Amino acid sequence: MINVETVRADAAGVLTPPVLELHDVKKAFGGTKALNGVSLSVQPGEVHGLIGENGAGKSTLIKVLCGIVRPDEGAINLSGRAYAPTTPREAKANGLQVVHQEFNLLPYLSVAENIFIEHLPRNAFGVVKRQEMNVGARAALDAIGLSDIDVRWPVERLGIAHRQLVEVARALMTQSRILILDEPTATLTSRETERLFTIVNDLRSRGVSIIFVSHHLDEVFRICDRVTVLRNGETVFSRPIAETNQDELVRAMVGRKLQQQMASEMVSLARPEEALSLVQFRHPQSPHAEGISLQLHKGEILGIAGLVGSGRTELLRAIAAAELPLSGALRLEGAPVSFRSPREAINAGIGFVTEDRKEEGLILNMPIAANVTLASLSDVSRAGILDSKAEIEVTQRLGAELKLKYGGPAKNAATLSGGNQQKVVLAKWLARNPKVLLLDEPTRGVDVGAKAEIYALIRQFAERGLALLIVSSELPELMTLSDRIIVMSQHRVVGELSRPEFSEERILQYAYQGEQQQARH
Amino acid sequence: MQALEKTQASETIDTRRLTGWSPKVLLRDAGIGLALLLLIVFFSLGTEHFLTPNNISNILTQITINLILAVGMTFVILIGGIDLSVGSMLAFCAVVGGTVLTIPDLPVFQAVALATLAAVGTGVVCGFLNGWISAFWGLPSFIVTLGMLNIARGAALQVTDARTIYSFPPSFNAFGSQMIFGIPVVFLIALVLVAIAWFVLSKTVFGRLLYGIGNNEEAVRLAGHSLMFYKVAAFTIAGALVGIAAMVYMARLNIASPIIGIGFELNAIAAVIIGGTSLNGGRGTVIGTLLGACITGVLANGLILFGLSDFMRQMITGVVIILAVIIDKYRERLTGV
Ligand SMILES: Nc1ncnc2c1ncn2[C@@H]1O[C@H](COP(=O)(O)OP(=O)(O)OP(=O)(O)O)[C@@H](O)[C@H]1O
Ligand SMILES: [Mg+2]
Repeated sequence: MINVETVRADAAGVLTPPVLELHDVKKAFGGTKALNGVSLSVQPGEVHGLIGENGAGKSTLIKVLCGIVRPDEGAINLSGRAYAPTTPREAKANGLQVVHQEFNLLPYLSVAENIFIEHLPRNAFGVVKRQEMNVGARAALDAIGLSDIDVRWPVERLGIAHRQLVEVARALMTQSRILILDEPTATLTSRETERLFTIVNDLRSRGVSIIFVSHHLDEVFRICDRVTVLRNGETVFSRPIAETNQDELVRAMVGRKLQQQMASEMVSLARPEEALSLVQFRHPQSPHAEGISLQLHKGEILGIAGLVGSGRTELLRAIAAAELPLSGALRLEGAPVSFRSPREAINAGIGFVTEDRKEEGLILNMPIAANVTLASLSDVSRAGILDSKAEIEVTQRLGAELKLKYGGPAKNAATLSGGNQQKVVLAKWLARNPKVLLLDEPTRGVDVGAKAEIYALIRQFAERGLALLIVSSELPELMTLSDRIIVMSQHRVVGELSRPEFSEERILQYAYQGEQQQARH
Repeated sequence: MQALEKTQASETIDTRRLTGWSPKVLLRDAGIGLALLLLIVFFSLGTEHFLTPNNISNILTQITINLILAVGMTFVILIGGIDLSVGSMLAFCAVVGGTVLTIPDLPVFQAVALATLAAVGTGVVCGFLNGWISAFWGLPSFIVTLGMLNIARGAALQVTDARTIYSFPPSFNAFGSQMIFGIPVVFLIALVLVAIAWFVLSKTVFGRLLYGIGNNEEAVRLAGHSLMFYKVAAFTIAGALVGIAAMVYMARLNIASPIIGIGFELNAIAAVIIGGTSLNGGRGTVIGTLLGACITGVLANGLILFGLSDFMRQMITGVVIILAVIIDKYRERLTGV
């Protein structure tokens, strides 16, 4: 294991040898050049930001470092020695820990088992020491401030943010020299992100190097010492954070200056007609009986804010009838309806972009086009027979609108980068033309440029009368998009803000207030 | 951006790849075809009688029933299920069909039509129950069809009082051994079924969703499709094909007995697996199944010609199944399918 003391002595500012060095690393998948000459060097005790557009090669680079993907060309040095891992195990043995962008937890095992999966505590007979494991897992979760889940729960029960934190906890179980975090904050709300940053700072002070991938430049500026930009698989920029600024980074990422994001003086597109209304609508897991009441108008974009576990996702799942049984009343365009399955909800005109693309959004091993048309198969078929041409047209049209970076409509969804996978999930619902669209973290992992495109597209759809309900952990996103924001806490609506009242402070105030009230009860 | 432009250029090729014929799938089927070819070459060089017209039609006849059952099994395995009851169901369908077929004084044509209806109907009912019970209660189909394995066998014995039914109309039997250009008609029927299944699986919404369910059930459900319908349909199709196989069995062997078909489910599963379909569901083609059934058939026949004992043949077939899965695993890793 690493000698923390000597590293800290070195970190005084004198030239220290880099702990990790990459030189001109290349990797192609068939015709796609995922990495086309990446060079970078990471100092001990440095937080190294790695940024770039969707499909720029960040995750591929990380897979190279942890032995999942073997590079075609280039050299990697770890602490001055040549390093070419062939298995993730080898990478771990060399002190690299990785939290991947797409989750790798085993859904039916408990949280504790997942955390300890690599070294389950066992007694002399090889029987797992459950007590010890659970206590250890509890401590690991408390250390990252995740106290509201039981370590005996199957991971299946957790929302996506909690899963992310469990992955972080698992990576922290072993001491490492280099910790790699691939978009760890994409699913987290500000509270969890803060905790994560505290941990990162702590590790840095102990001499651990951290490679941090994010599409949030503000985070990069807050936490990183150095930042490297990839574009089309090449290093185009690598500098200490103090010597650069946001504009420069964006330019380096997209290769041009980005137009200003949509102005905030946007007018509300809400129409008087009601699109959806809920009266005491209750998800089966809601801890109380009151349920949620709200109204959504045609053309309106209603944002839902709240901390992780506040019931935002559950609300959307309930509306889409993904979970049953439900109670309370739901009206769609004024008519009372009650859905007994997602099929009925969707046929009635509800679309639902789920938060977890890998588990419930995408069929990774099927073509991109098949994923795009999955919810609108009747539009691309006649008498039950598929029209591949139509499928490809839809895919190409939406692909162009969403700036999808892909090898072709017939390539499997698994070949896409994370952000591009997210765009496919969006495309699936845009292809269907619903009346009410529920979006759960719609831009998770999407890069700045494409985000602006998606926002514009969402506005366009609202203009056509589509009503949107958006859950997002990114407050700036909610504030850019929404006409109105409601704040949830403990499965209740605890606050509502109209556009002129929007501010991060007020939203967070409501969110935390609700929680404290709950604690007092 | 650049990627987009490239895509548009290659559109024409892509249209075909979308529907089950991606180059990788093609490669996989070609690989299995190559294995079959090697096997054929090996046996033709190694034995005198293998490549004679007589023996070939012999093999094709022997393959037929397993092939029909395996086509149905492909549907079930594609959605991540398994059907262990097809052997017993075959017996049950046969005795029901056989009973109708031997109704005295019925004109042959009507008797055969009614018998087919009865056999296929029986298969449909059993298959529907398999699918419905496992989908409605969320039970593993392994367990449910294990139950059906016993139920159908018991029912076949009960219906016939454990007796064998025989003396079918002679023209029905003549049909069972009819040849066209040296190819058994019953095999041609099986080929037609393969073609239909291929079309359904690769060209229709129905087929698309079966693959989808095998890969990611939840995504399909949340995209607004009824899992229940597709799951029940897959098992029902398998049941219907058992009914057809039962008719073919009777036409060829001129009997219907409640104890036929023991272990047939395993042969069908073997053909599907050797054909490259994943037991986890979501991956595989019916063309693969056709090749898989041919491989098992050729192997069995060739080994007999070599003079190997029944026991030896059984062992070798087992080895081939395991080999097929291992090869598939490596292929997956190498090509990253
Ligand atoms: N297994 C694969 N087969 C084919 N192409 C792949 C594969 N994995 C990645 N690619 C391609 O390589 C490129 C880089 O992908 P990568 O996942 O590294 O992007 P990324 O920078 O992590 O993007 P994001 O921000 O969206 O996560 C993409 O164009 C992607 O489509
Ligand atoms: Mg990525």
